Amino acid sequence: MSLTPLALRNVLRTPASLRPLLLQSPRACYHSYEHTQPPPYRDADAAILSSALTYVPAQGFTQEALTLGAKDAGYLDISTNLFPKGAFELVKYHLVTQRLGLKDRIQFPDEKMGVGRKVRSLVLERLRANADTGVVNRWQEALALMSLAENIPTSLRELSALSDEIWFLAGDVSVDTSWYTKRASLSGIYAATEIYQTTDQSTDFKDTEQFLDRRLEELRVMGGAVGNTLEWVGFQGGALVNLMRSKGVRI
Amino acid sequence: MRLSATPGWVCNDCRRSFASSVRAQQQQQPASSQHVRQDEKTTHFGFDTVAENLKASRVAAVFSSVASNYDTMNDLMSLGIHRLWKDHFVRSLNPGIRPTASAQPQGQKILDIAGGTGDIAFRMLDHATNINRDTQTSVIVSDINPEMLGEGRKRFSTSPYQAAGRVSFMEANAEQLDQVESSSIDLYTVAFGIRNFTHKQKALEEAFRVLKPGGVFACLEFAPNLNNLLMNAVYKRWSFGAIPLIGQIVAADRDSYQYLVESIEKFPSQQEFAGMIRQAGFLLPGQGPEDEGVKAGWEDLTMGIAAIHKGVKPA
Repeated sequence: MSLTPLALRNVLRTPASLRPLLLQSPRACYHSYEHTQPPPYRDADAAILSSALTYVPAQGFTQEALTLGAKDAGYLDISTNLFPKGAFELVKYHLVTQRLGLKDRIQFPDEKMGVGRKVRSLVLERLRANADTGVVNRWQEALALMSLAENIPTSLRELSALSDEIWFLAGDVSVDTSWYTKRASLSGIYAATEIYQTTDQSTDFKDTEQFLDRRLEELRVMGGAVGNTLEWVGFQGGALVNLMRSKGVRI
Repeated sequence: MRLSATPGWVCNDCRRSFASSVRAQQQQQPASSQHVRQDEKTTHFGFDTVAENLKASRVAAVFSSVASNYDTMNDLMSLGIHRLWKDHFVRSLNPGIRPTASAQPQGQKILDIAGGTGDIAFRMLDHATNINRDTQTSVIVSDINPEMLGEGRKRFSTSPYQAAGRVSFMEANAEQLDQVESSSIDLYTVAFGIRNFTHKQKALEEAFRVLKPGGVFACLEFAPNLNNLLMNAVYKRWSFGAIPLIGQIVAADRDSYQYLVESIEKFPSQQEFAGMIRQAGFLLPGQGPEDEGVKAGWEDLTMGIAAIHKGVKPA
C-alpha cells in the first residue's frame, strides 16, 4: 500500500498510538476498477440497521424501529447509542445500500440502448427498490427527516451520489460542463419523481413512470432551448463586438 | 493541601494551611514517603508529578474536602451550565426500556462510576421512570471516596428510588471492579470522574469487562482545549484565574480547585481519548460511510469545554 505525500503527512501528524487506526482502511476518494471499496458500514452497524429496516413498514422511520432492530440483531436497547442521529441513520442506510445495490439490480446486455433510455430504466429500478423493501408507504417520514436542517447536507450528498451512480451505470462519458449539468438535472428529476411516487396509488406505479417520462421530455426540450438561446446570445455578442470595431472602437 | 513543598500544618476545622517554622505533628504523612524513588513510576497530579501509588490517596483527599459543597461549587464554576450538560448527557443516552404489550419488563442495570453525589444516577432514574415508564431500571452508584458516597446516600434517602431498591451504593476503585460481575451491566457512565483516575486505560478495560455485549460506555468530561483559539484564551483565564479564587472564597480550599483546573489541562484531547476508548475494544458511534478513524467519535459541548464520549461493546 503506497502513501501519497499528503497521506504520509497526515499519518506523521497523528499521535503514534493512533496511527494504526488511520492506516486501517485506505479509502480512495475515487472509484477504482482494480480495488474493491470496503463495505460502507461496520458489521455491527449493518446488522442493526438491516434488521431495523424490516420493522420500518410497521413502525416507520423511528427510534422504535431502531430499538427493535437492535434487539433482533443480538444487541441491547441501549445499543442504539451507536446511532447519534437516530432515525435519520436508518434513512441514510436505506439510501446508501440501495444506491450501491443498483448495479446488481439491473444490467444492460443490449448495447444498442441509448444513454437516455438506460437512465430512465435505472431511475425506475431505483424507485422500484423503494417499493420492494416496503418503505414507500413510510417514505414521506423519511423525506421529513431528510429535510431537517442538520440532515440537509448529508441528504443532498446522497442525492448527488445517486445521480452520479445512475449516469455512470448508464455509460455517460462526458468530460465537459455537461457532466455537472446532467447530474444536477437528474438530481432534480429523481427527487421530484420520488416524492410523486409516495402519493402514487396506481398498479405497478404506472403513473410514476409517466411522470418521469414527462420530466425527461421537459429536460430534453428545455436543454435544447437553453443551448439554442446561448448560441443566439453568443452570435449577437460577437456581432456587436465586430460592429464596434468597424466604427473604430479599440476592443 | 500540598504536602510536598512548604513545611506547615493544616487546621482540620477550616482546612487552611499555615506556614510554621516548626513542623507540627498534625502532618499526615512522614517526610520520607514524599520523595519519589528513582525507579518508581510517576504520574501527574495536576501539574505536579507524584508516584503512581500516591495519586489515588491525594485525589481522595481532594474529594473528601470538596464533598460537602460540591454542587454549589459546580454551579459557581460553570455558571450553572453543568446542569445542562448532565441533562443532555442523560437524555442522549435515553436509559430505560419502553414497556410493550408482549415483552416482560426487565429493566436496565446502570453503573455510575465516580458518581458519588448521585447527580447522574438521579437523572437516569428520573428519565427511565418518567419518560420511558420503566420502573425496573436500577443504578449502582460507585465512588472511591466514602464522603462523596455519603452525599449521594443523603440525596437518595428521601427519594422513592431508595424505597423501591432501585439504587445501591458501592465503594470501589474503577480500575478494579471486583464486586461487579463480567457482562452484567447495560450502561456504564462516568461523569467528570475519569480525569482523576491513575490509569485511565485500565478503567476503560474494566468497563469493557463489566459491560454486557451491546452495552454502552459513556463518559462526560472536560476537554483540555476549546476549538476556537480566542475563546480558548478567555476560557483559560477564567479557569486558572477565577476558579481557584472562587474555591478559596466559598470553600476555603484553593488547592483543591487548583488541582481541578490543572487536571483538566492534563487530560488527553477528545481525539486521543476516543482512540483510547477504541483501543479498549469499544465501537465508536457516528462512524458513517464517509467517516475515517476516530474523527467523529465524540460530541463537544459548549464550544468544547466538555465532551461526551461513547462506546458500544461489540456483541
